[in-house]
Amino acid sequence: MRGALLAIFIGVATIGLVAIGTIWPIPSAIYFAGSGNGSVLRSPTTPEIAIQDLGIRIRLHQMPAAYSSLANKAEFTQSEFDQDVTGFYRSLRTQATLETVDSQPLHQSADQAEMRVQFHWSTILGPYEDTREIQVVRNGDRWQVDWPLVKRPSVPAQVIPVNYLRWDVIYSGSTDEWGSQNVAGPNVRIVDMRPVNRAEGVYVLGELLDDDVVPAWVDVRATLIGKDGKILGSEDSFDMISHRLLPKQVTPFRIHFPNVDLSQVGSIRMQPESILISTSADPVIEILNEKYNALPIASLTGQLSDQSGRVVNFAHVLTTFYDSNGNVIWVSGRYIGRALPPQTPVNFTVSVPEDLARKVSSERTIVAAYSPRGDAL
Amino acid sequence: MKLPLKSYDTNQQLFFAYHYMHDWWNPWNVKWFTGFSQTTYPPLPQQWTALLGHIFGLQYAYMLVQFVAILLLAVGMYRFAAIWVNERAASFASLAVVLLGSESFLIYNAGQLATTWEAALYILALPYLYEWLRYGGFRPFIKALVLFAAASAAHDVIIIFGTAFFTFPLIALAIMERDKGEETTTGAAVIGRAVAMAIAAAVAIGLVLLPYWIDLFRYPVSQTPIPHASRANYLLTPFWGTNYFLIPWGALMLALPFIVWRGAHVRRLIPLLLGFWACFLVGLGGTTPVALWLLHRAFYVLTFERVAYWAELLSLPILGLLCSELVTRFRMKAVVPLVVLGAITCGLPIAWSNYQPTNSINLDVRPVAEWLNRGGHDNYRYFTLGFGNNISRLSVETRANTVDGEWYSDRRLPELMKFGGGSLDNSKYFGPGGLGALQAILRHANRYGLKWIFVHDPWYDPLLHFAGWRQVDQLEYGAIQVWSKEAVPPAHPMVFGVKPPPWQCIMWGIVPIGSSILAFLLWFIPDKRRQFLTEEDDSDATDETYMHERLAS
Amino acid sequence: MSLGRAFLLAGPALLAAPLLLAQSPSMNLPAQVPAGSAFSVPTSGSGQGTLTIVGPGQALRQSVQLGSPVSVAAGVLYSAGEYVAILSSGSDEQVGQFEVTPAQQPSTLSFLAEPSRLPVDLQNGISGTVYVSDVYHNLILKPMPVSFNLSDSAGPSQTRTVITRDGVAWTRMNSASKEGSAHFVAQVGGVTTTRVIDEVPGDPCNLSMTATPDKGKALLQTAPVRDCSGNPIPDGTVVTFTASFSGRQSTVDVPLKRDVAEVEMPLPPGATVSVASGVVAGNEIHWSGR
Repeated sequence: MRGALLAIFIGVATIGLVAIGTIWPIPSAIYFAGSGNGSVLRSPTTPEIAIQDLGIRIRLHQMPAAYSSLANKAEFTQSEFDQDVTGFYRSLRTQATLETVDSQPLHQSADQAEMRVQFHWSTILGPYEDTREIQVVRNGDRWQVDWPLVKRPSVPAQVIPVNYLRWDVIYSGSTDEWGSQNVAGPNVRIVDMRPVNRAEGVYVLGELLDDDVVPAWVDVRATLIGKDGKILGSEDSFDMISHRLLPKQVTPFRIHFPNVDLSQVGSIRMQPESILISTSADPVIEILNEKYNALPIASLTGQLSDQSGRVVNFAHVLTTFYDSNGNVIWVSGRYIGRALPPQTPVNFTVSVPEDLARKVSSERTIVAAYSPRGDAL
Repeated sequence: MKLPLKSYDTNQQLFFAYHYMHDWWNPWNVKWFTGFSQTTYPPLPQQWTALLGHIFGLQYAYMLVQFVAILLLAVGMYRFAAIWVNERAASFASLAVVLLGSESFLIYNAGQLATTWEAALYILALPYLYEWLRYGGFRPFIKALVLFAAASAAHDVIIIFGTAFFTFPLIALAIMERDKGEETTTGAAVIGRAVAMAIAAAVAIGLVLLPYWIDLFRYPVSQTPIPHASRANYLLTPFWGTNYFLIPWGALMLALPFIVWRGAHVRRLIPLLLGFWACFLVGLGGTTPVALWLLHRAFYVLTFERVAYWAELLSLPILGLLCSELVTRFRMKAVVPLVVLGAITCGLPIAWSNYQPTNSINLDVRPVAEWLNRGGHDNYRYFTLGFGNNISRLSVETRANTVDGEWYSDRRLPELMKFGGGSLDNSKYFGPGGLGALQAILRHANRYGLKWIFVHDPWYDPLLHFAGWRQVDQLEYGAIQVWSKEAVPPAHPMVFGVKPPPWQCIMWGIVPIGSSILAFLLWFIPDKRRQFLTEEDDSDATDETYMHERLAS
Repeated sequence: MSLGRAFLLAGPALLAAPLLLAQSPSMNLPAQVPAGSAFSVPTSGSGQGTLTIVGPGQALRQSVQLGSPVSVAAGVLYSAGEYVAILSSGSDEQVGQFEVTPAQQPSTLSFLAEPSRLPVDLQNGISGTVYVSDVYHNLILKPMPVSFNLSDSAGPSQTRTVITRDGVAWTRMNSASKEGSAHFVAQVGGVTTTRVIDEVPGDPCNLSMTATPDKGKALLQTAPVRDCSGNPIPDGTVVTFTASFSGRQSTVDVPLKRDVAEVEMPLPPGATVSVASGVVAGNEIHWSGR
């Protein structure tokens, strides 16, 4: 009898512990169950839970289940929904993982709610946010998301002749005689440079010009030297520069030295680096309707328009901000989540630190682009 | 034939063994993380692989060493089970261990050579421990002690985290049966002997792995925890439930009700049942909160497939009893289904590893190694992206060094410790942590002389492009892209952490493997023949008698 | 003296006799030998010996019959510099020194011309440095006249003659005012080496553009872009168009194609459009929409 009791106790306790672990999962279980913000799939009894459930399904790439949970799924196919969520062409979005979803009610009635939803994506190029206003409707005792589908942009059928220049480089072989001639690297020039002290450390800001007639692959390295002559740090511009420069093209750069104060710095050694590369002069990307908004959140908004005939998969907007004297006061960058289809404007927003918002007098924007097929752009 | 070589950690084991093969007396290995000490990983199976590798070649030596572990485990399980159940049932337990799903999972899927060796030696030590607890005597004491030391030389996890599950039931049994059998003892004597063994084992293990402990005390685990799916809730994430529960347990799940029922009804099996149950709960990872409650921060360091393995080992004596009784009663009608179920249980993880390869990518790394070894390319460091567990094999093939590696416990590069990612190679699977580490190491490429990245997954291309890297070559008909960064200075030796001093190097080359040789020599000295009590001798087992009657009816 | 004692003394004396009779080895080394040429070294003495010659990057060891001249074949010693010769026989040896000099006839010119590409109209912008070597790549230290000639499509070529000093001669040249490939030739004796220098246009000069309506947009087009010497700026060079209107701005970087940069931009009337290339600014126009 005692044995039976013990066996039953073990069985019941095991089931109980599994139930506890499932109803109130521990953090690691939550992490693997698809939600980074402390919840797992539940019955969608509120608009917030419906949004969270949808987010978890997207995070776990359970797209059929996510599509099935939508209130307006009859208005579009699952394929259209998938493409809206993950992007139509290969882009930052297609490679992103949804980390968390934050929702904020704007209006709510008994059967309908309007929510502002912020999707936080983790991407290879850093975190990325996407905000949408979403309707959530009540269906019996369940709430369902009314997905605001963005249709795939359609470009009229056309032939766009592209005949921009292309440069190819042939270097001399390693077995050639000593002193034999090789192709000289491109001349590049730093046309502006300024160190800035901020709470996160020292930033070295500036602009670099390809002062040659050939394209260049560039980088800028800065070395901070202390007042005692010791090196405080050496960093390069990493992704805060357009590494590919065409002749006479100018790129901003920003180099960050965390945990250093400008008062410690005696001098700065700048090393622009450049090599000749094989590349072509396309694509041309227009930056349209740039507008600087100082308030309420300091930002630069605008649109990118790819003038070539092929999709630009990854684009990085780099903006230099100047004060009224023309001095560089900040360099900002922002990756575009979606690919740039030909001839189709895509919105962008570049943020500016609040403390610099009122000092900005003008700005200059360039776009660094990368499309995996074909040549490195 | 070479199925074990396809498992996840095999290449890492071979990488360690390769280093011992070529530099037995210097555990400082510069090929990963700019340099790390192999004294941070108990060396026994790798050292045996290295020694036998001189005769059979590294791959066959690995399989031979793995085979020896299976044989030792079968012998150990027979003797361990014989403490609890009759010899016939113990024979079935011994047979079952070879077909165990977890064992198969560890060998053919996870490639945890160290875990299987550790378990085999540890299980071998337990009967001597029990004999020591019950009867005292120098012979069982020294045999248990040396086998424990040898087990720790293979791996330390069971010693640190698994001892309670295995030894507490034995201590409880020895106290329960202190006045039964040919020699009697007292509860105090049993506890005294347990304490004496604990102290002696602590000293012996401390000595055998002294460089390891020194390193551990110098650098306690301070990395941001790396997510591991064995910490998931297996119900909320059915895929991981399949991977870490259904596949390793296989048909053994069918026997769980019997194990609990019989274990609860036979008084002397209760300690074993409780040990098994606790281990089972912990082995469920994040499915229950038990593991987190018991282990606290260690929960985020341990992986739980091995705890499930221990639970299965603890269940085998009672499973042997079930098999024995079924075969006695039903003869061939029981034998055939048992063999089929055993084969399915053993085969399932092998099939699963082919159906869902964890991180195993079929890739020929020799062209990459040849590329690195020519033209001075090995003057710089490199790492790979999307190579899966081939990075260890590449490290064996090339002279060049990488900033990456697969042995996370001794990586001291700040960029890798801070973010909670696994290896850079598969950083995309570790979310923001993995990508943070990747970005950080790319930012500091010049510091490490890091000039080459071999990419087998175009997913990473945008980051490399925007971070200033250029594609300079391609290998394997374009399957592998070589990316490079300009103006990177050649790599120079860098030491993060502390190189083991010469006395530790010598000790590492002698003591761990010496402990195993000594253990084998002592093990071959004949034991005093003692007949342990079994569940059939349990006079209090009224419920058990009832079960027997039911089975016999 | 007993017979036995006599044997004791005579035995060693007989054994030592050949040694006492043999002469110490000696040789008569030439003071200088041209690189790669054959020469012989007379020796004296008798018996077998060994001649060892050690020099910059070379070592030679051969058995010799003392008393006969030792021949060193042509092409054996070819690296110019000081050599040490050691003639040894048993425990005796003679050490001597001689010099291998570069051959007098230049054979190769290592010609470093920098840069390989430069803007037009740059004074002393091109440097040429020549290292004169013989057939064995020994630097010929004897002063020799080197003729530098830079010929381009612009007009008369520039010529300089420079005497080498310690085997090296260098000069500077101006780039032409017209773009194109210039041939930079260095000549010593009958040996000639040529390098090609790309003389490329300088910064754009008088950059100007026009704006015309086109399909509801503004077609912005530069005049053919040239540098201050009238050379067309190469295709691919970036020209930046910037339009400002109502607190907004549109920008596009356009590469030159056939000397001209053009782009269509949607512009509202009243927009101000400017053009620039690198650090050179061009004209500014106000777009009326027509």
